[in-house]
Amino acid sequence: MATVYQQLLPEEAQFLATAFPQLLKINGTNFPVSGLAYDATTDEAAFWKFRAHNYGSGNLTLDIEWYADTASSANVVWEAQIAAITPNTDTQDIETDALATLNFVQDTHLGTTGQRLHRATITISNLDSLAADDYVALRLARDANGTSATDDLTGDAIVTLVTLSYSDT
Amino acid sequence: MATLSPADRQSVWAQWQRENTLPCGPLTKPELRAAVDAIDGWIDANAAAFNAAIPLPARTSLSAKQKVWLFFFVIRQRFEVA
Repeated sequence: MATVYQQLLPEEAQFLATAFPQLLKINGTNFPVSGLAYDATTDEAAFWKFRAHNYGSGNLTLDIEWYADTASSANVVWEAQIAAITPNTDTQDIETDALATLNFVQDTHLGTTGQRLHRATITISNLDSLAADDYVALRLARDANGTSATDDLTGDAIVTLVTLSYSDT
Repeated sequence: MATLSPADRQSVWAQWQRENTLPCGPLTKPELRAAVDAIDGWIDANAAAFNAAIPLPARTSLSAKQKVWLFFFVIRQRFEVA
């Protein structure tokens, strides 16, 4: 039994026509920091696609590495959902396929340093009948308006890296 | 002039967060919104006093918008927030 990891970079994200985070590249003191800046007041979403290589069974784990642009406390809410398609088997039109019900996590700023890096984890349990080698579309959004839980973090929340993992058995 | 509508206050609250680049400390979004509401209320409560503080002939020569714009220029120069 092993765990399969898929790195999803901000630079690889795709977006719909509206309500999407800004892709930033900040020239840090010693190295550049790139990320997706999710707005504090309007829900914004980014999308990635991947093939579910060696997917065995069970929930997906989505680790979201983020930092606050200007805040040093309070909560941010992240939402994730997938659409899984089995090529050559599913007859659903890919351009109109629906996403499964979202899962979310509320993560709390740990304080001390405003722009410290956090890792929030979402367990994606709504799997849309996911099977090995499926084409998968993943949506990651910030629930800025607090539909799923209270998001009271002031300013942008910047996602620097997303890692998806699952079991191969 | 009346206070801003809730939608306009919402717009101020949202846009300020987008443009602010300085640390906010432990301030939460609801607390920031309370500050927006209070500032708008204070402006409304003191609008007459602000106007009365402007000497003639500026008080009658300038439009309301011009007077507010002048106020902004003074604030900007004092606090270098532009």
